[in-house]
Amino acid sequence: MLNYNQALPEKKTFQDLHMEEIKPIMKLIIRGKKREFISAVGKSLNILLPTESNTSTQSDKLTALWLSPDEWMIFSNEPVDENTNNYETEELLKNKISKINLGAITDVSDQFVTIKLKGDKIYELFQTGSPFNFNDFKYKKGAVTQTILQKIDIIVHNQDKNVANLFVRRSFSQHLFSWMSDAASRL
Amino acid sequence: MFIIKCPFCGEREQSEFKAGGEAHIIRPKQPTELSDDQWAEYLFMRKNIKGIQFERWNHVHGCRKWFNVVRDTSNDEIKAVYKMGEKPPVQ
Repeated sequence: MLNYNQALPEKKTFQDLHMEEIKPIMKLIIRGKKREFISAVGKSLNILLPTESNTSTQSDKLTALWLSPDEWMIFSNEPVDENTNNYETEELLKNKISKINLGAITDVSDQFVTIKLKGDKIYELFQTGSPFNFNDFKYKKGAVTQTILQKIDIIVHNQDKNVANLFVRRSFSQHLFSWMSDAASRL
Repeated sequence: MFIIKCPFCGEREQSEFKAGGEAHIIRPKQPTELSDDQWAEYLFMRKNIKGIQFERWNHVHGCRKWFNVVRDTSNDEIKAVYKMGEKPPVQ
């Protein structure tokens, strides 16, 4: 990523909770309705798009999150090269999807900031500022939800036990992170 | 405050949604032939009943999809939820 400015330079560690931005993570929003679209994405990336609501699927390199019946987010499991803005995955999908009008591919790598949370108290933190019911969510590995935290739109991905990914729009990220730090210090 | 069951995402709190007004209002086929009164009737006049009301809602902080809700306005009880384009349930 060229001229990359880190949104959240700080890392925060509390008792039973650690949170930091991980970057640069490639993120793509893909949209399409047809069945051919889902199978074309599956074949090109070797990943099965989740069709059940609020779920995700994972391959070695990528994770696909269900966002809406015709919308998914694909992100790289590991940080990508900092020195380029070109992603192999995006190029591949552009050729296999966009160019033949099967669906739309949008690069949102810089639009969303990825915050990784680790620890026992992730969902206790979310519960202090979100109307979403996390009771079942926290035990379901791979669960995904779009909801609001402190009035800010977020995407939460339950990656593993005590590990969650949070995606927030970049302009909200500093405010949200400082709120989360404050809330976490009082848990 | 009440809970709405989004037909795509499941049960969510009301603050994730945006109300979109009355449902099933049909746009006149020939707007140019209407009088101003008739056009205003279509554009602005909405029922505001105490009781069962058909409404459109948008899950704006979730899947961003529109759908219909049948709500009792007197006690905010949701009677039914159905997708756009589906027939409303008969009372």
